[in-house]
Amino acid sequence: MKLLLKISWRNVWRNKARSIVFILAIGFGLWGGIFATALMKGMIDQQFNSSIRNLVSHIQIHHPEFIKEKESTYTITRAEEISSMLDGNSKVNAHAERTVVSGMLANASFTSGVEIYGINAEQEKLTISLEESLVEGDYFESVSRNPILLGHTLADKMKISPGNRIILTFQDLNGDITSAAFRVSGIYRTSNSLNDERKVYVLQDDLAVLLDGYGIINEIAILLNELDETNAFRDELQGLFPQYEIRSWAQLSPDLSFMNEFTGMMLLILISIILFALAFGLLNTMLMTIFERTRELGVLLSVGMSKVRVFSMILLETTFLVITGSVFGTLIGALTVALTQQKGIDLSPFGAEAFSDFGFDAVIHPTLDQVFYLNLAILVLITSLLASVYPAYKALKLNPAEAVRKE
Amino acid sequence: MAVIKTLDLEKIYNSTHVPVKALNKVNLEIEKGEFTAIVGPSGSGKTTLLNIVGGLDKPTAGKVFIDDEEINTMKDNKLINFRLRNIGFVFQSYNLIPVLTAKENVSFIMLLQKKSKKEMDRRAEELLREVGMADKFDVRPNKLSGGQQQRVAVARALASRPKFILADEPTANLDTASAFNLLDIMARLNREEHITLIFSTHDQRVIERARRVITLVDGAISKDEQFNQ
Ligand SMILES: Nc1ncnc2c1ncn2[C@@H]1O[C@H](COP(=O)(O)OP(=O)(O)OP(=O)(O)O)[C@@H](O)[C@H]1O
Ligand SMILES: [Mg+2]
Repeated sequence: MKLLLKISWRNVWRNKARSIVFILAIGFGLWGGIFATALMKGMIDQQFNSSIRNLVSHIQIHHPEFIKEKESTYTITRAEEISSMLDGNSKVNAHAERTVVSGMLANASFTSGVEIYGINAEQEKLTISLEESLVEGDYFESVSRNPILLGHTLADKMKISPGNRIILTFQDLNGDITSAAFRVSGIYRTSNSLNDERKVYVLQDDLAVLLDGYGIINEIAILLNELDETNAFRDELQGLFPQYEIRSWAQLSPDLSFMNEFTGMMLLILISIILFALAFGLLNTMLMTIFERTRELGVLLSVGMSKVRVFSMILLETTFLVITGSVFGTLIGALTVALTQQKGIDLSPFGAEAFSDFGFDAVIHPTLDQVFYLNLAILVLITSLLASVYPAYKALKLNPAEAVRKE
Repeated sequence: MAVIKTLDLEKIYNSTHVPVKALNKVNLEIEKGEFTAIVGPSGSGKTTLLNIVGGLDKPTAGKVFIDDEEINTMKDNKLINFRLRNIGFVFQSYNLIPVLTAKENVSFIMLLQKKSKKEMDRRAEELLREVGMADKFDVRPNKLSGGQQQRVAVARALASRPKFILADEPTANLDTASAFNLLDIMARLNREEHITLIFSTHDQRVIERARRVITLVDGAISKDEQFNQ
């Protein structure tokens, strides 16, 4: 066996130029694949995390009718009970109870349909990091009466800056239309510009006065400590509060869960393409090798080397070739990922706006799990074995009498 | 008892559009310890005969017995193993594994026979000394002359302790001196160690070293002469 290994390894280096070209090809192919994968994963992870952190949270609770009708009269009457239960639960990182009203926002020149969120400022600091999301102005502080936060998209569209006055118009709980003046205290920005055009935040007590009703809760958002606990905790809550519609982030935002699965699929496709190229490169290299060595293989079969051994010799040869190439590729791939992970790669020269419109950050932190490398290694090995079966089989089919006649 | 015996051997090649009858009713017996040359013009069937006797190819009709065992009916895998144990081969050229040294090339056969490392080393060195390659153990084939390569090939053929050695035109690519040198080695092995050797050639210079000369013409034996030296 040792001699067989020796023969195979030395055979790899017989046609140095060809082997090196092949090794470089797999190497750079894998490098590109690994880096592109890490970049994509970094991008998607980032968006996923910011969607959870700034937009949907892990779990939301609504009155079932509220989801359909969007009317603030459908309230969560057991909100206080839920709130104190959440306060005492170690799985819960933060939670927020919100009043939600649909209405119109107007200034001197423009009007726009909005969703008015009456919030508890302290709660939202933790639940959706609202204060951190501010890009202009401050967090309800500079305005003493009726402060409001707008998203940057809406502010841009309506040419509003902090300190400006705007008018909110909506239906109160009695069904009467009511209007009130608010003053912009800050402008926030999330990774989702659509969200930033629709949602405006006012203080819950200010809204209660206008709605003519205190303690109106239409939505409870919960941020957990661990993403993985989402489903179990949702089920637990649903069991305790069966009359409400309690949804996980995946149910609330199907595109988010799609994105999660889609990433996996994209990575698979990307890697498959690389493996496919690898397989054909290998097939070609090995067929050429066998064609050139017909006579030698004929001699080996003639003097009594068994077919199993000839077959293994060729498999070993391809395996060596592939392992050398993939170790090289994986090393530079992993190195590139490690080097760029911390600082991230700034893609803003290619259009920071375009990235944020799609909900992406322009600075991407490439990332990959250990498992990915392991899976990749296994896939590469399987592919190369599959690709070398045919050439090895060709070698077995050689007729020694004819092979040794070849000049 | 004959170590090789053929019965009405026939070989027809169908690969071209006109079938070629390369062997025609060849009946041949070779005894242990013989040193036989197969001669004849180009295309007379020398290679075909050696290939079939060596179990590298199958006859179209007829039988081949090696020590009374019929080999033409053996399955491929069994035949490979049979060749490994019973027959030594020396081809015209490119006999050796280019990535192995002279000694490794000789050891290789014993490795296939699962001999111990110690025995492999000892015997490989002994055989290489015997063919005058004592100073070339660790040299690879591309650094050896044609004659030296053929001598290593003879050592390799001997390594498995075969019943006989088949050499198809072993001197065809050699200059006169190397050709004589190789044949001298073969003759000595035959004389001193009673190795059974069969080689083909159309090289008049080396025929006289053989003790028996079989002449093929158009795939049939036309002359079978014994010489006593
Ligand atoms: N694979 C093959 N297909 C068709 N015809 C073949 C094949 N191999 C050999 N022949 C033919 O069979 C005949 C015998 O060939 P063979 O090689 O045995 O002769 P040879 O005596 O060894 O010749 P040489 O001295 O040139 O080596 C020739 O006519 C040759 O053309
Ligand atoms: Mg010939």
